[in-house]
Amino acid sequence: MSSHPLAPRRLAALAALTAIAAGAAACGPKSEDAGADATPHQGGTLTILNQTPQTKFDPAREYTTGGGNIPGLVFRSLTTRARKAGAAGTAVVPDLATDIGEPSQGATVWTYHLKAGLKFEDGTPITSADIKYGVERSFAPQLSGGAPYLRDWLTGASGYQGPYKDPKGLSAITTPDARTVVFHLNKPEGDFPYLATQTQFTPVPKAKDTGTKYQDHPVSSGPYEVVSNQNDGTTLTLKRNPYWSQKSDAQRHAYPDRIVVDSGLDPAVIDQRLATGSGADADAVTTDTNLGPAELAKVNGDKELASRVGTGHFGFTNYLAFNPKVKPFDNQKVREAIAYAINRTSVVNAAGGSSLAEPATTFLPNQATFGYTPYDPFPAGRSGNAAKAKALLAQAGYPHGLTVTLTASTSDANQDGPAVAAAVQDGLKAAGITVKLVGLEDDKYQQDIYSVASEPGMFLSGWGADWPSGGPFLAPIFDGRQIVKDGYNFNSAQLNDPSVNAEIDRINKITDHAAAAKLWGKLDQRIGTKALTVPLFHPVYKRLYGKNVRNVVISDWTGVLDVSQVAVK
Amino acid sequence: MSGYVLRRLAGMVAVLLVLSVVIYAAFYIAPGDPAQIACGLKCSPAQVAQVREQLGLADPVYVQYAHFLGGIVAGRDFSTGTAVMHCHAPCLGISYRSGEQVTSMILQRLPVTGSLALGGMVLWLLLGVGTGLLSALRRGRPTERALTGLTMAGNAVPVFVIGLMLLIVFCSTLQWLPFPSYVPLTSDPQAWFWGLLLPWVSLAVVESAKYARLTRSSMLETLAEDHIRTFRAYGVSERRLVTRHALRAALTPVIALSALDLGTMFGSAVLTESLFGLPGLGKMLVSSVAVVDLPVVVGVVMVTGFCVVLANAAADVLYAVADRRVVLS
Repeated sequence: MSSHPLAPRRLAALAALTAIAAGAAACGPKSEDAGADATPHQGGTLTILNQTPQTKFDPAREYTTGGGNIPGLVFRSLTTRARKAGAAGTAVVPDLATDIGEPSQGATVWTYHLKAGLKFEDGTPITSADIKYGVERSFAPQLSGGAPYLRDWLTGASGYQGPYKDPKGLSAITTPDARTVVFHLNKPEGDFPYLATQTQFTPVPKAKDTGTKYQDHPVSSGPYEVVSNQNDGTTLTLKRNPYWSQKSDAQRHAYPDRIVVDSGLDPAVIDQRLATGSGADADAVTTDTNLGPAELAKVNGDKELASRVGTGHFGFTNYLAFNPKVKPFDNQKVREAIAYAINRTSVVNAAGGSSLAEPATTFLPNQATFGYTPYDPFPAGRSGNAAKAKALLAQAGYPHGLTVTLTASTSDANQDGPAVAAAVQDGLKAAGITVKLVGLEDDKYQQDIYSVASEPGMFLSGWGADWPSGGPFLAPIFDGRQIVKDGYNFNSAQLNDPSVNAEIDRINKITDHAAAAKLWGKLDQRIGTKALTVPLFHPVYKRLYGKNVRNVVISDWTGVLDVSQVAVK
Repeated sequence: MSGYVLRRLAGMVAVLLVLSVVIYAAFYIAPGDPAQIACGLKCSPAQVAQVREQLGLADPVYVQYAHFLGGIVAGRDFSTGTAVMHCHAPCLGISYRSGEQVTSMILQRLPVTGSLALGGMVLWLLLGVGTGLLSALRRGRPTERALTGLTMAGNAVPVFVIGLMLLIVFCSTLQWLPFPSYVPLTSDPQAWFWGLLLPWVSLAVVESAKYARLTRSSMLETLAEDHIRTFRAYGVSERRLVTRHALRAALTPVIALSALDLGTMFGSAVLTESLFGLPGLGKMLVSSVAVVDLPVVVGVVMVTGFCVVLANAAADVLYAVADRRVVLS
């Protein structure tokens, strides 16, 4: 999963696959003594049936949101996400630390104190030096893959290549005593506690570090430790870590005695196994396989199965992106006309229907934690306002309509493929805009839309948050200083508005999340009037879980069932 | 004979070398930067450059290729960061994605694909040759028409459809079988067998049709030959005629085809492996191509190529055994 500001869709999806899973609220009935006792108990083995293996099971290399789902069973970090259903689960809470961090010097210095009595799986105490070392090794090019924020945020860290090359370490992280660690940033970052949920803040004992081999058996600080890791994370078996204590961990429950992650499976087979629930599959969940429209229709036809579907909202927006460097999208009136012409009813249907997608008019996801402020600068109604669009086109100098190209993926897997593209095309046709569709194979699509040199004029895109806050959602897309000329660029409009940049800086200094959220909402509204993107919908996750699974908790942070809460007894 | 073996060996090495060059070339033409992928899309160009250096991708292509060849002959050393990891010859390098040694990744998956391919072959040969033989002997009768129809139907349905149907019927509805998973033969032979049964059946259903057709036509052709007619005239029993004389000659093309199929199965049983969740070579190949993990891609292709070449050599020898008119030269 992704953990920081907005992640591109695939990244987020990948992240979601590998790391998160949240669950929603209902408790599944137990098959044998149905309804008799829904209280979760300790014991049993939880099976996790997934598509994507847990490759790179190293805290330095994981890219998670909120510490991830499966990784979070083994890796604790300074802070973590609240393991609560719905909006309450978007809060950041202490994990190894006693609080979510003490900011000082205008949020440029963050101090953490570790709880007393914390231990690794071998019984050795967890110290602040282990946290510092864990962060430092995430800078090693051998252990790449984690979220890149620390490199930009920590003072003097931009050229650091990790402790293997430079054992002196980072002077931006100090450890005044064994239980205190201090981070010195080069700019104010009010969201630092959110970043500290990621596994790069997981303690790693230097004496046990084996570099690229560490992923085979990372030293656990969480409720479970690795028994075996086969075929590069395809089959991962976990058992209880005797040195973890529930008293030190207010978030994880650790009900099952063992957890077996079985991956590399086909999505159709995962759904089939969860539905059938024979043998160990009755005690199974998935953290990466959503029900598609067809599966959902089938499941909804069966009461028992329908009672075993978890619904989640991960902060994500699917949108139509413009490149104003390409004509006619340089003309704001043309972009506005397109925004008015969108038929959101057919777009939502193309994305799987109203149970898998909610219509969007704001760029920020429809959750308070991001600063969601309802607005609709170009009201298209449920099915598009063709008359208004035509009037705008006439003003823009296209009284007889125009022809444009829409680029999309050839795969519908991420709801940015031919189905949604055709729905956009239909809406625009009613307004006299002829849309030619270009489908690109996924790798090529991604490479083209995220490169300044090859970016198409109009394309389907999506963005998910590395953590549930407005900053990581807006900054990568609209901050002019984040335009990347020779790498992956997410500011597709290449907006570089000094007043927007200044406002982003101003809000980043605010450590009060609710106060910052309000301002992110206002900024979103302000940018929205420029019609640089047309928000289309926010996806909804639906996932099946096994017959014996209890205590299903799905937070709005992750949108998927949280494996640290699940019980099978 | 020794000259023949030497020539075959030299040919095998040449084929493998050409294969590796082609893959290296294709890799550098294809889109996708493994350093960017390993680092993550949000990595800065400077950070990507560090990762590129670390992966050895900053060297010129011919240097990288030379290192690769050197590793196969003499082994290579890699740094884990904290220690030096020696990769013994034949070393196929380390994965860009995971940092694991490609040789050991392949060795872990080889038994999976091997079990799938060999078991599948036994079944598709039994099914294919059996129905082919029966069709030839019952030529023109309802039995033949029914068998031909059935094998054709099996061949016409893609393996993932057959597989999914089998799963739904036997694992989900009837629950006679567990959902397939791979258990090593050495740790539990019974679980190994039951876990692979459906994948074998799926492969056999799809593959056996062509063997049935081939066996049937080859058998009919042989039965019409002069020497068979002569044997029959001498009063050789029909059973002996078919099993001792006709079948033996008729199986020659079947041997050639099975060798080829078995060899390619090592890299191409992707659909079957994916559907049944078997961690085999084909699946690893596909996921590695997606993330431009060159060492793994080259490694799997080389091993698959090796299997194909080896299987072909074996077929040539079997040819000579099956049909005494064939001379190895």
